[in-house]
Amino acid sequence: MDLATLAWKIEGMFPNALCQWVPVALSVDVPAATVSPGWLPGLELALWRSAAGHIAASSNRCPHRGMRLSHGFVRGENLSCIYHGWSFGPDGGCVRIPAHPDMTPPATINSQNKAVLEAGGIVWVCDSNPKSPPPDFHGLVPVRSLTIEASLAALEAAARAVADGKGLLAATIDGVRIHMALAPLAGPQLLAHVLVAADSTCEDRIAASRAAEAFRRMAEAMSPESAAA
Amino acid sequence: MTRQPMIDEWYPVGLVSKLSTTGQDTMLMGQPVHVALGNGGEPLVTAQSRRFPVISRFGHVWTSLGEPKKDLFAIPEAYQPGRRFVDVGVVRVRCSPLRAVENFLDIAHFPFVHTDILGAEPHTEVQRYEVEIREREDEVWATKIHFYQPQAAKSAEGGITTEYMYRVPAPTCSILYKTCPPRPGEWDVITLFVQPLGEELCDVWPWMALFDDTTPMVDLIHFQQLIFLQDRSILENQMPRLLPLDPAMEIPTRADMTSVAYRRWLKRHNYTYGAQLVAQ
Amino acid sequence: MKLYDYVLSPSCYKIRLLAALVGVELTLRPVDFHPGGEHRGPELLALNPAGAIPILEDDDVLLTESSAMLVYIASRAAPEWLGDGSAREGARIQQWLSFSHRLTATLGSARLHEMLLRPGDIRGLQSAGKQALRELEAALTEQRLSDVEFLVCDHPTIADIACFPYVALAPDGGISLEPYPSIRLWQRAIRALQHFIEMPGIHRLHELRPAPVRPEQGA
Repeated sequence: MDLATLAWKIEGMFPNALCQWVPVALSVDVPAATVSPGWLPGLELALWRSAAGHIAASSNRCPHRGMRLSHGFVRGENLSCIYHGWSFGPDGGCVRIPAHPDMTPPATINSQNKAVLEAGGIVWVCDSNPKSPPPDFHGLVPVRSLTIEASLAALEAAARAVADGKGLLAATIDGVRIHMALAPLAGPQLLAHVLVAADSTCEDRIAASRAAEAFRRMAEAMSPESAAA
Repeated sequence: MTRQPMIDEWYPVGLVSKLSTTGQDTMLMGQPVHVALGNGGEPLVTAQSRRFPVISRFGHVWTSLGEPKKDLFAIPEAYQPGRRFVDVGVVRVRCSPLRAVENFLDIAHFPFVHTDILGAEPHTEVQRYEVEIREREDEVWATKIHFYQPQAAKSAEGGITTEYMYRVPAPTCSILYKTCPPRPGEWDVITLFVQPLGEELCDVWPWMALFDDTTPMVDLIHFQQLIFLQDRSILENQMPRLLPLDPAMEIPTRADMTSVAYRRWLKRHNYTYGAQLVAQ
Repeated sequence: MKLYDYVLSPSCYKIRLLAALVGVELTLRPVDFHPGGEHRGPELLALNPAGAIPILEDDDVLLTESSAMLVYIASRAAPEWLGDGSAREGARIQQWLSFSHRLTATLGSARLHEMLLRPGDIRGLQSAGKQALRELEAALTEQRLSDVEFLVCDHPTIADIACFPYVALAPDGGISLEPYPSIRLWQRAIRALQHFIEMPGIHRLHELRPAPVRPEQGA
């Protein structure tokens, strides 16, 4: 287990997002010409993919009036805010302010894009200059992402296992083996990307999705936070 | 901590037409209050042993937690003969009361939020208009605003270029004067009265005084509710919820001159309930 | 067909939406639900003693349940929206029509509480609403894993229309949709349908039309 993961486990969250790729979403959940919300520790993201397929991760806040950009829309190669249509390119630069169609937006207006890459069917985001590539989940493919309102400790107790150095937690539920790539969310909840063996059939994947639901019920029942709710 | 000057302002807390003797519990700037009809038919705003000052005007009951230094603002145009008054009803929004007012003062969002009603692409340009803080009245005014609108009002047929004037006479109230399609030369009066429940939660009471003899009242109510509910999901997704008064937090353009003046006026009077002074 | 309608009601919107999608013309009779409470007045109580809208009238047919209205409109104008007639699809549509009432009771009640100040145990409503959304997300995820875009089959049915409005407006009741990628893509597929209409709280998919090009920019 690397130091960052160890510290994350102790703290219950990423200790230092500065040099850590975070698995924020599945690639299939951000198809071309769409935007969706995503999270880094302490930072909301707007994940979006251009019509040509380019993926980007902006701050989820339009610099104009603070509107969440994840409510916006993707036209061509730009992300636009739903509030006033301010549009941002793949590098985050503002390319259009509809209220002033003849004005070239100042270069200082920017949607604060983060480093992003796709590997193994997962979108990874990093808040600064990454020192190493994201972990390779060789032989595994993602099935779905789900939010679990429980601490890492409760997840590990439910799985009767501990997360490995890649941030992967494995569990067997009613004979179905699943792996979960974990990412921290705000509050006592985690984002779990469920993975299965690459040669799994459609039926296997559906079974894994159901196993993940059952696993979530167990973990949330064991989590003091949800018990209180 | 210094006394918040907004405590001495008047705020709407209910519709006069909906008052009852049993009354309603509501909240004003964090203070629970009860709004009811007294035995003599007069509106009462109370909290345990306290009784607050009351004004009935513009279809609403107004009160203040402090000591109002002046009367509630007037809207003389609203009482021209022939106008119909529209009680649009309350809508709760999880945002700063000041954000709700600022959104009301904004026209650049029409094509994207009120699509094909108050605006539509490609007619997105905001032409230069005039903004001032009128010192004598101590109000923010924006005038000579022109914008193309596909369906400017319930009574409008087809697109027209509408003229707008905005007025902010109180920190959580704004009045829009708008071209009146059935009566050229006159202005429709459309208001946004905001009741601050807390710094990040408000009840919004739109009210209108229109020249429109033909549209059924229910259609007038629904048109305005439709417009405001299109704004609501925007207002609940602005970050931070408080209105930032730190210029570094949000970037205005020339189209936002009204909002810039509004924020400056709030700051000048220390009207900061619902505002964020320093970026966090 | 005459619909007793309220512009902010997701149940009324189901009927307006299906009618628009299948090309049925409705005569709208606006009801002053808020602030007037007209649905509890004598004229509407005579039509629906439950004091609820929508109400649909068509000659001698009088309907007061939105799911029945969806069945009626689809049967009259667009039977493909009722599935393929098989036991499997028919039952699955019924399953989701019944489920949609849970959405109304949870997400819808939370919305009325948070938006129009109606009474209710908001935490309980939000928690039950979240549970319903998780079930919907799980079902839509399984559909996606089988390459099916909609709730019942590979084209939209009244099941999708029955569930869509309260789900799309869940944030109005303080219930986040952010944790549900499959619900997000399903909603997008519905909003992209030809002749789709919006209601307040559901914005236009501006990406369906290209960005306007100003003539002088081309030069």
